[in-house]
Amino acid sequence: MATPELGQRDLQAAATSHRGDRVFNRVVTGAAFTALLVLAGIAIFLGVQVIPAFQSQGLSFLTTTAWDINTDPPTAGIFGMLYGSLLVAGIGLVIGTPVALLLSIFLVFIAPPRVSRLMTNFIDLMAAIPSVILGLWAFYILNSQAQEWQELLNQYLGWIPIFHNDSGNFQGTPFIAGFVLAIMMIPIVTSVTREVLGRTPPDLINAAEALGCSMWTMLRYVALPYGRGGIVGGIMLGLGRALGETVAVFFVLKIVFNTNWYNVIESGGGSVATLIVSRFGEVSGTFELNLLLAAGFFLFIGTLIVNVIANLIVARTGRLQK
Amino acid sequence: MSTHVFDQSRIEALQGQQAVRPWRQRPRKFVWAVAIASVAPALFVGALFFFTEIPGALLLIVFYLPIQMLAAALAAYVTRGTRGIADSVIIVNAIGATVFTAIILISLIGSLVVRGWSALSAHFIFQNNVYINPSTPLEYGGIGHAILGTFLIVLISALIAVPIGIATAIYITEVRGRAVPYVRFFVQAMSGVPSVVAGLFILTTLVVTGALTQSALAGGLAYAILMLPTVARTAEEVLKLVPEELRTGALALGSTRSRTVFQVVLPAAKTGIITAVILGVARVIGETAPLLLAAGNTDQTNLNPTGSPIASMPTYIFNNVALPYPDAVTRAWGAALVLIILVAVLFTLARFIGSRKPGR
Repeated sequence: MATPELGQRDLQAAATSHRGDRVFNRVVTGAAFTALLVLAGIAIFLGVQVIPAFQSQGLSFLTTTAWDINTDPPTAGIFGMLYGSLLVAGIGLVIGTPVALLLSIFLVFIAPPRVSRLMTNFIDLMAAIPSVILGLWAFYILNSQAQEWQELLNQYLGWIPIFHNDSGNFQGTPFIAGFVLAIMMIPIVTSVTREVLGRTPPDLINAAEALGCSMWTMLRYVALPYGRGGIVGGIMLGLGRALGETVAVFFVLKIVFNTNWYNVIESGGGSVATLIVSRFGEVSGTFELNLLLAAGFFLFIGTLIVNVIANLIVARTGRLQK
Repeated sequence: MSTHVFDQSRIEALQGQQAVRPWRQRPRKFVWAVAIASVAPALFVGALFFFTEIPGALLLIVFYLPIQMLAAALAAYVTRGTRGIADSVIIVNAIGATVFTAIILISLIGSLVVRGWSALSAHFIFQNNVYINPSTPLEYGGIGHAILGTFLIVLISALIAVPIGIATAIYITEVRGRAVPYVRFFVQAMSGVPSVVAGLFILTTLVVTGALTQSALAGGLAYAILMLPTVARTAEEVLKLVPEELRTGALALGSTRSRTVFQVVLPAAKTGIITAVILGVARVIGETAPLLLAAGNTDQTNLNPTGSPIASMPTYIFNNVALPYPDAVTRAWGAALVLIILVAVLFTLARFIGSRKPGR
């Protein structure tokens, strides 16, 4: 039996007719705006820190790469870190996205229900693994494996500029950091794409198969176009997380204040989030702290933009946020 | 023209039937082809592994995957013609991606157990890190101070984030004010705040200004920023599951809005709310960066929530990972094992409670 939905006006009437309710209403509404308050607070308090950084460095704080705090005058620029964050997250996307997509295709269309349910539970657990543990594993287990892979990449594909390595040092490369981010992104992206693909109407699938579609043609012309928006949104959510990841990258990426443009298996790269944590331990006075906070502001703005776009895309494809 | 008249029993029989899907039937030849296509490449690459020096990971990706794709494509071509080839390739790759993920997960969990096990002991759980330096053998010292610190910080953050998160969910599902879409948007945006930024925010507003020192309270506030969106979104989902009849019924009986929420809606969604809290705790419990910035670190057991730095499990692991002493590293693995067990227990608990029906 259907009950008429309570309209907003009914609720408003019920809410304002009693003094206790008016108080309740106001308290709850106030609490609901905490999220806005916190976001605004972060933007303002970190944003203020940008002013002294710009006063001392000008725009070169964003366009150059340097970190010589104790010279006079000090020079600091985070371009290499900003670019490095994008590069490492990009490597993560290149490795992680195909795996996540294929994994969700397996879970939705290929695996028997029991296998699918078991695997889904494991992937949820994987999403919950703290990043410091991922960093620990990457530092001791992945690192030695990745050395071998990188040497082979350099040996056989070294003629491609991005796989070129002159120094013979394969430690702390953007590739390893990107690989760790890929592992972090796989469960995040998979949980969204799996849900989107699972929402393909079964009638459409059965109709496509009855018309003689093979699985590939069904995916190509029915399931993937149907879930395209959600898939793109899920990938961007993963990207947002990757850009802000700190500790997992800290152990496997060597932070250097040179812009590493494309040598992904050459030692050294950049990451804003990791810069903050690695410099914070030995910060040499308020000026350097101020620079780190300013860097944090740009990290915040970057991830905020990526996340907002991702959420808008996912929300437009249909309500599927958890 | 005649109309078909079905008797009721025939309709019921039809309703009980599964769809036939003749295109999904598998002939015997198909089964054989698949069996050969799955065993032969594995045997070939297995032989390569034992008789050549090519490293395993390379072998899997550069040799096994293409050979397996080729074999599957051949099998598909033999049984279903050219149309089968694309299917077989995507199935091989999808299984490959799944196995890849499973290998990484097994490697992660396996290495934690293998390397962390030797650190575990009663004193490792209960003792603190005072008088311990990185080269002290494993018979002494432990993470008791870090476990207590994590609990204290998480407790503080839950005390802040849970009421606000649930109130946010109540605003969205019960009060239903004009700002609902905006509130949702902000909660979504807040869930994307990087953990290091949450730490920086507390650092710059409270610690640098001198209002607080690095402490459990400062760490808890940073955690609360990360916990709030998770609690709010999960609580919103479960409050939506409370039947509308309960609300209208309570209002019709003359209950006020607030009493409806506190005495009808929230009790009906009790298990779901607990799930929301557990998921919120699980979201933050392993976060390291905010605590490095806002809570600091110490070797002592510290139960004072304000005024002095406090240890926690993530920062304990962080500080031990890259030390050049095997025993310190083993301690890091041991603490990681304890932490992952905690997270797994929280998730199982959330699953178990969440799987019970709401409204009981």
